[in-house]
Amino acid sequence: MSDTGKGVRELFEEVIYQGLCTGCGACITGCPYIVAHEGRIILLDKCTVAEGDCYKHCPRTYTDMNAVSKKIFGIPFSDQELGVTLDIYMARTKDSEIGEKGQDGGTATTLLALALQEGMVDLVVCTKMDEDKVPHGYLARSREELLQCAGTCYEASFALEGYRSIPKDSAEKVGIIGLGCQLEALTKIRQYPPEKNVNPDNIKLTVGLFCGWALSPHVFHPYLRGHYDLSRVVKFDIPHTPHYSFDVHTKSGIKSVSLDEIRPYINPACQYCWDMTAEFSDVSLGSAGSAFPGWNTAVVRTKMGADLMELAKRRGILETQALPDQRLAHLKSNALKRKKTALENIVERTGNKNDLLYVGNLPQGMADRLLEIP
Amino acid sequence: MTSILMNKPGATVLLMGNEAIARGAIEAGIGVAAAYPGSPSSEVLLTIAGVAKEMDIHAEWSVNEKVGTEVAAGASFAGIRSFCAMKQNGATVTADFIVNLNMTGIGDGGIVIFVSDDPGSMTSSNEQDSRSLAKWLDNPLLEPSNAQEAKDMVKWGYEVSEAVKLLTFVRGVTRISYTKSNVVLGELPERREKKAYFPELWDMYNPHKSTFTAGPSLVAHKVLHEKLEKVRELFEASVFNRYWGPENPELLIITCGSCTSYCTEAVSELKAGDKVGVLKLGTTWPLPEKLVAKYLSTTKRVLFVEETDPFVERSVMELAARLLPATCDLAFYGAESGHVDPYNEQSTDLVIKTLTGILGIRYRGRDPDYDREAKETLKIVPDRLINLCAGCPHRATYWAVKMALQLDGRKGFVCGDIGCYTLGFTSPGFFQMRTLHAMGSGTGVANGLGNLKRFGLDQPVLAVTGDSTFFHATLPALVNGVYNNADFTLLILDNSATAMTGFQPHPGTGELATGEPATVVDMEAICRALGARVEVCDPFDLEKSTKTLLRMMAEDTGVRVIILRHMCQLLKDRKKIPREYKVHVDPEKCLGDGCGCDSLCTRLFGCPGLMWDKEAGKAAIDEAICVGCGVCADICPANAIIREETTQ
Amino acid sequence: MSKKRLKREPFNLIIAGVGGQGNVLLSAFVGTALVNEGFMVSVADTFGVSQRGGPVTSHIKISGKTLYSSVTLEGKADMILGMEPVETLRALGEFGSPHVVVIVNPRPIYPPGGMPYPDLDVVKRQIMKLSSRATFVSATEEALKMGNPIYTNVILLGSLVGADILPITRETMMPILEERFPGKLLDANIKAFNKGMELIAKAQAQG
Repeated sequence: MSDTGKGVRELFEEVIYQGLCTGCGACITGCPYIVAHEGRIILLDKCTVAEGDCYKHCPRTYTDMNAVSKKIFGIPFSDQELGVTLDIYMARTKDSEIGEKGQDGGTATTLLALALQEGMVDLVVCTKMDEDKVPHGYLARSREELLQCAGTCYEASFALEGYRSIPKDSAEKVGIIGLGCQLEALTKIRQYPPEKNVNPDNIKLTVGLFCGWALSPHVFHPYLRGHYDLSRVVKFDIPHTPHYSFDVHTKSGIKSVSLDEIRPYINPACQYCWDMTAEFSDVSLGSAGSAFPGWNTAVVRTKMGADLMELAKRRGILETQALPDQRLAHLKSNALKRKKTALENIVERTGNKNDLLYVGNLPQGMADRLLEIP
Repeated sequence: MTSILMNKPGATVLLMGNEAIARGAIEAGIGVAAAYPGSPSSEVLLTIAGVAKEMDIHAEWSVNEKVGTEVAAGASFAGIRSFCAMKQNGATVTADFIVNLNMTGIGDGGIVIFVSDDPGSMTSSNEQDSRSLAKWLDNPLLEPSNAQEAKDMVKWGYEVSEAVKLLTFVRGVTRISYTKSNVVLGELPERREKKAYFPELWDMYNPHKSTFTAGPSLVAHKVLHEKLEKVRELFEASVFNRYWGPENPELLIITCGSCTSYCTEAVSELKAGDKVGVLKLGTTWPLPEKLVAKYLSTTKRVLFVEETDPFVERSVMELAARLLPATCDLAFYGAESGHVDPYNEQSTDLVIKTLTGILGIRYRGRDPDYDREAKETLKIVPDRLINLCAGCPHRATYWAVKMALQLDGRKGFVCGDIGCYTLGFTSPGFFQMRTLHAMGSGTGVANGLGNLKRFGLDQPVLAVTGDSTFFHATLPALVNGVYNNADFTLLILDNSATAMTGFQPHPGTGELATGEPATVVDMEAICRALGARVEVCDPFDLEKSTKTLLRMMAEDTGVRVIILRHMCQLLKDRKKIPREYKVHVDPEKCLGDGCGCDSLCTRLFGCPGLMWDKEAGKAAIDEAICVGCGVCADICPANAIIREETTQ
Repeated sequence: MSKKRLKREPFNLIIAGVGGQGNVLLSAFVGTALVNEGFMVSVADTFGVSQRGGPVTSHIKISGKTLYSSVTLEGKADMILGMEPVETLRALGEFGSPHVVVIVNPRPIYPPGGMPYPDLDVVKRQIMKLSSRATFVSATEEALKMGNPIYTNVILLGSLVGADILPITRETMMPILEERFPGKLLDANIKAFNKGMELIAKAQAQG
């Protein structure tokens, strides 16, 4: 829907103030009035533009799922549990440097480093944590820079904010790594290209990351600061087993707390998110609940994604193995349950089965089928 | 134009009211002049200070009007004639001292205070009629109707003052202060012979209370009233009370001050000079009752025209009540009857309107067709809202304040004060100022709000003050904050001048009223000595200023001070400080009014040096106005505003 | 009193501009010249806050007989010197009369905040419609050629004197300029003044 007639005021009234903001950072791209500060999205002053890119690109305003899918895959929106899937298997890096820095299998970093090296992309929009472990959108133009961004940060990172700093007339080829909500926003950016920003046709590679939920920085960070010396923190982890703990790796060891202690800081907007496996990507990666420890599950969705994975294997920097059926089934069931729960939460909020907030133009009957699942 | 010291008695020159008043004080032989800048009175002391050395006068900008009046009183006690000038609010500030001075009486040197009111509030935060102060305090009051009278009244004011040992008020308004008209010069004084000497010394053999100590006041108050009766006698015979018109007018207008010419001209326009008489009072408190009673008996209808309170109206009606039953047939028109508004300026046009109503006569204004066309045309004329100058540091400060408050997100706000930065309450300052009252009140009010954490107030409290305002009235409030544990952040906007009123120097600038060098009173050191946390920033460094402010707000407790220091642009021009940058807009990069910019620079930032090229749909720099400060280059979201260092 | 005659008794002159254009200095020059010629003059400017971008109007009332208050009555202006186009219109709207003569500097000063400025051609047309005679003098253009927009007001002073409507001449003006501008500044300002006289002569010759 390109004639929204809505701008930043509606964005704040319908999304931000409603607690629906996922922290993707799309609205911040190319706008001087909206900024992210200490994990909150803030409006600095009044903008009078009647139809704003901010509203158009937000993943939590009405999204025509069918149109979005056609833009990425050329086919209508998939009703499969994991979305459009060409292939699915486990993968693990064979690059020892990446293996150390990466999370679990290190596949994402391996693929992006390769893409940079081969010139398939000139820069990667990713997320980097600063000294205080606050994540920011970042542009990596080399392997070294990319490695600084490796590792999961568990917080909503406004990653697309990095997309803004690419000069308007740049011809640089762009790769992006992001969560489902960020990639959904990115697809809307590609569908409704902003007039006065960098051309989204420059986006050549999107790598998705599985996501269960994200922490809200504006409340999580004060908690972190209160419990840790952040300059000594190296990384965060939620290990596969027992999967009830949140580990903080510091220079002097690992501190483990119960996940229950962290749950209060989960972004409430995540309860309305249907996309566990980052469906709008060339290839999505994750691990929890499916891959072996130390491995990633890779869901290949496009030819671009498939080719890149093959290239990595041929170069000997990536190894793969089949994902056992049981684990695949488990992944699918989790993904499906997620979609169902999200829809349920949405319907409970709107009180109306026909008002699914941002979820629009799903295949006929899909919403009902999902809601009927026990 | 003309040197105020022209020694040609009898010569006619064009002088502004303020200049004429200065000349009057000089001709009266004053030795001391003290004032605080305040529109519309600022030029009086400025003029005196300009010739202070030659005329052997001590002329100073005092930190505030109360201290200024105390300075004048000191001189008076030692037998030296002294003079003060102030705007309406200054009269209120100094009232406490005068109340006490009236109990003791002044010394051998007369004191005249010129108070200039601002009907219509053109240059003030409030509208006030200071004449009631004279009535309340019990001082003689004179109201000039033009520059010539202003000069003459100041001189006569000294005679009155010395006759009864009371300070005399001369009250003007903006039109009197700023209108220039023909003034015939008087003689300049001889060299001062008399030595200054404080007479009321301790006599150990015959100890007594000094005349200049106030209290016990029962006798003093009685004496004060007796003095006023003496003044009333003087006023009955004053040449400053004049009448024009027939012996028995159908309508008698009683007027004073600037309204005099509005009334005489209105009568002339209406060709009603045979029906309407105009009694102009130049001495309005105490009222010359015998004189007024005489004129009341010549008519059946009386109209009062004055600015702004019905001051003379009420005095005359009190008199009329006492004169009953002789005055029982009189009909009164004025503020009380609704014929005249007790606020805003009067004008000849307004008086014409009032008279046509009361007299039932018609007045043909301008040609009705032309009038219609002219009024239609006015609809296309855009409003020219007040703005901060190009290059003003306050614009940058308020931009940083707006950003910091939004980023902080706890609904903070700014308590405001008086100066150029007062424009923070409206669009040039992005509407950031949320309270505005008197000098120093911003910090005072911030004290109050800064003590409400116990009642759940969790919003950051900010206050702004200027460098001159700091010395005038903010200091005590700052001490109060440190002492009483208030939580607020004070922003001192230091542009090295009392800018709003004409760039007069103050204790922080290192310059005296006469232009001679002065000791710099170090604002930063004072704040630190008081125990506040202090930082200094250049407001043109938007990033640093915003970050500093954010950090200070986050600290949350105690008194924090940020001094935002950058010289006023107009002062830079006066000092011929060269422009730092040449600025232009790159139209290729400019995003104009579309999504991603929405004309941020012209629509929001609003510097008059920026203009919107409607045809091109781009911003541009107005060469005739831009001063090359370069700040706009930092706010442009597209980096389309380019600043290049000038080679000077 | 003066030997010279006023075109109207009393004569109402309005100088309309924007804060910062040097309106006040201009009105002081004119007022002083008239006092020196023996007239009773009242000059009122709006001060202080107006320096910050607001409209500034100077009202000058001139009489050969008596001292008047300065402010022009509604619809009674005899002459308007406009330093800026919409300010000229603003003055005409309130104080204009069918017989008013106008000299105007057609260089717009845009109000900040992106407020819409009317089409300059429309403004010029209305100025001509509302006056008995309107002459356009590009003073800012000439001042910029001289290197500084600050000369605009003295150029307009030259045009005002050159228009020969007020009873003041170049001879009256020179000593006043000399007193105000020392040294090198005087040369530049005399040049500006002469330019103004030249411009009005040219414009009036064209009809």
